[in-house]
Amino acid sequence: MLLVLSDDHKEHLSFLPKVDAAVVGEFGRIALEFLRRGSSPKIYEGAARKLCVPVEMVQHGVEGLMYLMTESSKHMISEVDFLDSVLVLGFGEELNQILLQLYLQHHSQIRSILSQLPSNLPAYHNLEWRLDVQLASRPVRQQVIPMLTMRLLLTGGCGSRDDLSRRVLQTDPSTLLHLITTLEAALAAIKTNHARRIFRNIK
Amino acid sequence: MELSESVQRGLQALADPSAFDQSSYRALVDASFRSLRSSQADPGVLDQPELKQIDQILLKQSHTAATTFILEAVKQNADKSTMSSCLEELSFSADKVELFNSTHQKHRKELERLLASIGRCPPQINDASWRLQYHVKNGQVDKVNEPFYLLSLNTENKGSSEDINFTCTVEQLQDLVGKLKDAAKSVEKASQM
Repeated sequence: MLLVLSDDHKEHLSFLPKVDAAVVGEFGRIALEFLRRGSSPKIYEGAARKLCVPVEMVQHGVEGLMYLMTESSKHMISEVDFLDSVLVLGFGEELNQILLQLYLQHHSQIRSILSQLPSNLPAYHNLEWRLDVQLASRPVRQQVIPMLTMRLLLTGGCGSRDDLSRRVLQTDPSTLLHLITTLEAALAAIKTNHARRIFRNIK
Repeated sequence: MELSESVQRGLQALADPSAFDQSSYRALVDASFRSLRSSQADPGVLDQPELKQIDQILLKQSHTAATTFILEAVKQNADKSTMSSCLEELSFSADKVELFNSTHQKHRKELERLLASIGRCPPQINDASWRLQYHVKNGQVDKVNEPFYLLSLNTENKGSSEDINFTCTVEQLQDLVGKLKDAAKSVEKASQM
């Protein structure tokens, strides 16, 4: 599939052929850095001063590159499709190759960054457990109650992405066995012909 | 078993044949166990024909003393002989001790269970449900094509239930199940000791 570039996007990228290939390479590096860590306007100012051009021009150039990289990574377009897509920009062969290399080298990393964006559900991180036996309590002084105490660590959710949320939970031995059977059934479901057929056919 | 002075007084009144004859004694002992077992306090628990002729203040004191004694016995896991000697010291007749003990045996398990359920504990997992999903694409990325699970752990804490929902990949679910199996193994080992 080909990318359809908007007129604004084309215009923003039209700045690239006016500078050296080395500068385009540097812009590419900055674009990827921004995708990883977020943008910082100070870098635009520094680059604009060096190149003696308006800040907006640099900003549009870098952001145009970021958009080009994220869109092509999003659809995971092929090498040929990438070159055909940037053809409409009217860049020289050398510049097209620089962009292609940038895409080929970094598309998997960009995809992994992009894939973190939509997950707003907490995700499993780890489970810590210990076996406790309750021997006595305030209302009853002689007890033997085996209990599995667990700490479930989850990442993500509504809060910050890096935050781990911790839930302390307990269960008794018979429920533990029930949980294992239930979740083993879940694992078995992925090996069924039904699931495999779906996985094979959705490409 | 250590009993406070007011409990001792209440029990002594219960032991006194001039205050509680055989039928009113039986009615009070039954009422005491019944009031402990019902989750809602029943104001009419002492409203019985056998207890009508007894002084109401004395009746309430004896009822409080009897329930305290029962709870203390369950709490300390007191055996029959401990309870008997304790009641005999408070001048209970052999008949009254026997009736008390037999009624206590009848309700003992239930009361133990009831007492054990009191207190704080972390939420209990009761059940788990799961869904297998195939992540095809989203607003940011196309051709993701990865299976994943949505898990929901049904937990209960003090009568209110809550679902803990989270996603996990196939590998993560294998990790989770592996850890739960390790735990189950060590439960099994511990139970054989």
